[in-house]
Amino acid sequence: MLNAFAAWLLRTPVTAFLENAAWAVPTIQTLHILCIAIVFGGAVFINLRVFGLIERDQSVEMVLGRFLAPMTIAIVVLAVTGALLIASEPNRAMFRVVFWVKMGLVLLALAATWTQRRLILTGSARDGGAATLSVRLIAGLTILLWVGVIFAGRWIGYATGWPGSPS
Amino acid sequence: MSLNDVLTTLQALPLSTAIAESDWLFPAIESVHVIAITLVVGSILVVDLRLIGVAATKRPLAAFTAQFLPITWSAFALAALTGSLMFLAKPVSYVGNVFFLSKLVLLLAAGLNMGAYHLFVERRAHQGQALGATRAFGLSSLTIWIGVVALGRWIGFTI
Repeated sequence: MLNAFAAWLLRTPVTAFLENAAWAVPTIQTLHILCIAIVFGGAVFINLRVFGLIERDQSVEMVLGRFLAPMTIAIVVLAVTGALLIASEPNRAMFRVVFWVKMGLVLLALAATWTQRRLILTGSARDGGAATLSVRLIAGLTILLWVGVIFAGRWIGYATGWPGSPS
Repeated sequence: MSLNDVLTTLQALPLSTAIAESDWLFPAIESVHVIAITLVVGSILVVDLRLIGVAATKRPLAAFTAQFLPITWSAFALAALTGSLMFLAKPVSYVGNVFFLSKLVLLLAAGLNMGAYHLFVERRAHQGQALGATRAFGLSSLTIWIGVVALGRWIGFTI
């Protein structure tokens, strides 16, 4: 099924365009990295606030709200640019184990961020003014998950396809 | 000793050959490099958007930027370290690569832009004056750093 999807992608005008314009893939990758800077940077800043290391003059809710909005837009752009990068070489990313590891880590990181948001906004994040242990644990976990996403993403460029993948 | 001799000597260092010959060292260093760059660009974006007047406009400029600049500097140190290690793998190729040289020029421009802001604008900006100049420095910083990221990606395709 994956082979059929890749074969179909290969025949689309999108792939034809991306293969012919030498500037297209590095441009899309640049946009992809800039959006990673917004998502990962935002996650780090929110969590530095959770640990009380920056912006102590602002509430955790305020800092969370300020960074989550641009992060959400950046995640949409990441999905679009990521899909274009797959389309640029349909026989590549999807046939590497590390690509699916990355997708799994992205889902876990999004779920962790969502849980963290819910805990903070419902007020259950506070225990006498300080962030509760669960919020601190999720904060650390979120950063580890995004670090894993970035490593896995870079590894897609170096890994070889699994046995039987199209070349 | 010519530049080429220096580069060839660097390339022959045990550390350089280890990075060049390993299957996983270069991608691992590159991953840390990407993490460092996203933190440099992420924190600079926060500061630049404040300078330009797009975000966090009600927050006092000096106190606000002071929170993010330590993140910028530590991440930049990590990016410079990992960047130097990647350079060691192929010093001769990097020095002959126009995108690598342009990236160094843009990094220098980013430093000069920041220095000029500190010298000529910062004091007045902190008092809420020189809004036009503050905005201009924020915009030029943002443009330069987007260029740095783009050139970095182009190096990957041409080295």
